[in-house]
Amino acid sequence: MSYQLYRNTTLGNTLQESLDELIQYGQITPALAFKVLLQFDKSINNALNQRVKARVTFKAGKLNTYRFCDNVWTLMLNDVEFREVHEFVKVDKVKIVACDGKSGDFN
Amino acid sequence: MDDILSPGFSIPSIGHAPTPLHHSLDADQQIEALPHQVYHPPAAEPTTTAATAQQQQTDNGTGVPDGSSGSGLFGHEPSIPLAHKQMQSYQPSASYQQQQQQSGNTGGSTPQSLMQPQTPQSMMSHMMPMTERSAPGDSSLSNIHQTMGPSTPMTPATPGSADPGIVPQLQNIVSTVNLCCKLDLKKIALHARNAEYNPKRFAAVIMRIREPRTTALIFSSGKMVCTGAKSEDDSRLAARKYARIIQKLGFPAKFLDFKIQNMVGSCDVKFPIRLEGLVLTHCNFSSYEPELFPGLIYRMVRPRIVLLIFVSGKVVLTGAKVRQEIYDAFDKIFPILKKFKKQS
Repeated sequence: MSYQLYRNTTLGNTLQESLDELIQYGQITPALAFKVLLQFDKSINNALNQRVKARVTFKAGKLNTYRFCDNVWTLMLNDVEFREVHEFVKVDKVKIVACDGKSGDFN
Repeated sequence: MDDILSPGFSIPSIGHAPTPLHHSLDADQQIEALPHQVYHPPAAEPTTTAATAQQQQTDNGTGVPDGSSGSGLFGHEPSIPLAHKQMQSYQPSASYQQQQQQSGNTGGSTPQSLMQPQTPQSMMSHMMPMTERSAPGDSSLSNIHQTMGPSTPMTPATPGSADPGIVPQLQNIVSTVNLCCKLDLKKIALHARNAEYNPKRFAAVIMRIREPRTTALIFSSGKMVCTGAKSEDDSRLAARKYARIIQKLGFPAKFLDFKIQNMVGSCDVKFPIRLEGLVLTHCNFSSYEPELFPGLIYRMVRPRIVLLIFVSGKVVLTGAKVRQEIYDAFDKIFPILKKFKKQS
């Protein structure tokens, strides 16, 4: 099982809407839709791991709180600066949810 | 639940939360007020007996529950009066040491002279009038000092004095407390802030707070370890704050058997030390294996303190249950260290 956290992205949401529609029109079965979603989890985890070369660095003024439970880190940052090569964004509050990249990608 | 969530420390089981704070305030004042108390010295007697007597006193003291606080709250309170009492026990030793010094610095190797007082004198040294600094061997002056009692600090002024004004600083305090209820660690980890729970690695929630900056290990049995505080009161306050956090998550946490398990202090004697010489003469107390660890490990028996002594002159003292043990151990080790000062 791959991480399912990318289902809640634009790509994942639209995919789920489309699948719901197809189920409503009787063109696919719910079981098939479920299988598609599982494949989506697998593919997007793999794609983000292997095919993304873009890099963003960020630096927080302060780590407000942190949590580590069930192998997931949750970090609440204050005064965060995101930097790409020539882009720069400043944000007051950022929440980071981070999972172990090794356990989630494959298998 | 409303009771539990009520503001401040008004938790029924934690009871008199503000009380220890007051206690601690008093204790601080007592310690700071020490130089004044010095003017009422008890009868002079050698430090060793004084220390044991004080020890017994405090042992008795711990057996008497503090009426103002609930059960389990007296865990560390006696330790403050203890520090206070034992500080007083320095006074006789100070005068004793003065007598020794005035009689020609004879007691270089006697055990009493190894227990030269540190703390009170270093405190007093700030208050010392300049005129007194200029009389190292003046017997008339020393008589005056003896008649006036140890309140007038002679020792820091004498060139052969042992007191450099160094007081070990507390660096870490480890305390334990029993919350007396089974805890669902996963629930705690999910709902509390600044918590880590990785049961594969360690069977406790690791939680931190910023004020006092400490770390707690919280076990499912309800036992808790609080580390990182720099003072007894901070350690207790931090433990209470953790207990409060646990209560806010809905557990019926109590605050029983609070106990300080270990205290670590450190200081710098500001001269290099010949550890090779020290290990040879104190071989039954010390071990020095520079290939294993660069410091000399000195296991003092009375007080039962382990000291790490480094060539640089830095000293770490650990294993104390009360602050005074750290001070006593340093007062005992300092003359020894001075004997092995590196001549360079």
